[in-house]
Amino acid sequence: MNEDWPAPESRSAAARADLVEGVSKFWMWSAMAMQDIRMRYRGSLLGPFWLTISMVIMIAAMGLIYARMFNMELEHYLPFLTIGLVIWGFVSTVITEGCQTFLSAQNVITQVRMPFSVHAWRTVYRNMIVMAHNVVTIPLVMIIFSVPVGWQAIIILPALVLLAINGLWVSILLGMISARYRDVPPIVASFVGVIFFVTPIFWPPEAVGAWMDVLPFNPLFAAVDVVRAPLLGKAPMAYSWPVLLAVTVVGCLGTFALFTKFRARIAYWI
Amino acid sequence: MAFLRLVNLTVEFPMYQGSSRSLKKLLVATTTQGNIARDATDRINVRALNDVTIDIEDGDRVGLVGANGAGKTTLLRVLGGIYLPSRGRVYSSGKISAVLDVSLGLNPDATGRENIILRGMYMNIHPREMRERVDEIAEFTELGPYLDMPARTYSAGMMVRLGFAVSTCIPPEILLMDEWLSAGDARFLDKAQKRMEQFVGSSSILVLASHSPTLLSKWCNRGILLQQGRIVQQGDIKDVIATYTEGLPRSSDKPSDKSSEPPSQL
Repeated sequence: MNEDWPAPESRSAAARADLVEGVSKFWMWSAMAMQDIRMRYRGSLLGPFWLTISMVIMIAAMGLIYARMFNMELEHYLPFLTIGLVIWGFVSTVITEGCQTFLSAQNVITQVRMPFSVHAWRTVYRNMIVMAHNVVTIPLVMIIFSVPVGWQAIIILPALVLLAINGLWVSILLGMISARYRDVPPIVASFVGVIFFVTPIFWPPEAVGAWMDVLPFNPLFAAVDVVRAPLLGKAPMAYSWPVLLAVTVVGCLGTFALFTKFRARIAYWI
Repeated sequence: MAFLRLVNLTVEFPMYQGSSRSLKKLLVATTTQGNIARDATDRINVRALNDVTIDIEDGDRVGLVGANGAGKTTLLRVLGGIYLPSRGRVYSSGKISAVLDVSLGLNPDATGRENIILRGMYMNIHPREMRERVDEIAEFTELGPYLDMPARTYSAGMMVRLGFAVSTCIPPEILLMDEWLSAGDARFLDKAQKRMEQFVGSSSILVLASHSPTLLSKWCNRGILLQQGRIVQQGDIKDVIATYTEGLPRSSDKPSDKSSEPPSQL
């Protein structure tokens, strides 16, 4: 392979142009994501609200059992669990579906030229639509248990934006690696399955006692915490925002470097 | 002024087979200095295009001819900016519309009309703009009531009608088409040819890969004959078709060109 052409600086410019043009194609990837959802739930009566129903069943089942196990009041445990599961649902599916970002767009990539970042936005946006359906369960639970929501909850908006940005680099990064190495998607899927159990989503962080010192090293906990804590009227852990911001910066820079280097190879890999 | 210029263009495909597709094998190979899974880094490069130089000017209607695997589709993909060449340069000017597969962006469960919008989206045309063109496109396809039925009920030829009509709804400056067009019936092909002639006058370029001598001689004025990634003949389409149908001289090259260079990229 000739590495001189295109020149490194033009590669970086091409990667930047790809990302910028990707954002401006909002109409394209939002429509593609809607189409994905429509395809997935075609012919079903409730459409994506099946997700909401299965979420409600999961919350009810887990809530009743684990509230007892952790000795917590249902009115405290259920809102905690509900918000945790909704955010986790978004984070975990962006990671697992992020692996398919370019693989599933194979026939598009080999036929028309369009920014690669469009496919990553499509993955992120599709999962945002799914999350929007699941979010319905949160006010439901909050109203049932009359959890007060204050103005400080507005902080979840920048938190959600940050989650979307993280979703973008994760989709591009895992999408590229999975296109090259086909055993990555199942590896990632099994890791995500394990992380669910070691992250305070259905168990309160205090439950692990001294092991709480390890939690700052789990960025997925930070991602859940920055949204969940304000909605429950609490402050997130002191490290949650710094951890999430650091992951965002490092992830974006690292992914950009790899995207610059290998963007042109993606079409050959898939 | 549209043009396409390829200079000494070579495209090599890394063939990742079996274990070189595996991250696990790669990691094992790295940690054991390659004793256990040495084949993880073995890579065969297949040269799909070899030192190709082509000049295509305004108004050229180029037919790409060659046996299966000669490099026609790869060449179209390089022209469309999908594959970045391993060596050599591509210069082009003009808006390119590549229609390599008739099923691009089509959703088999959506109706013909919905698919017109969808396919337009994949061609970078906003649904708003597409909606204004739907009627004109629908008329051209002559699919009538079928346009309100799911695309899964369409025959191959009907798909071609839909795909062609959408792809040419905005006259492209450079149109790249793969063999799928031959599935259309004679009447439709005549109609399509008239539409093509409207915009492939003096200011546009058509590059068409096909195996059909009749289609090629009707639609094209220049021909390029490819064999194993090399250009064997360029010139008048009639001469090129004649060479192609008479049978190519046997080449001494091996079918797949193993590159001896060490892999420099993933």
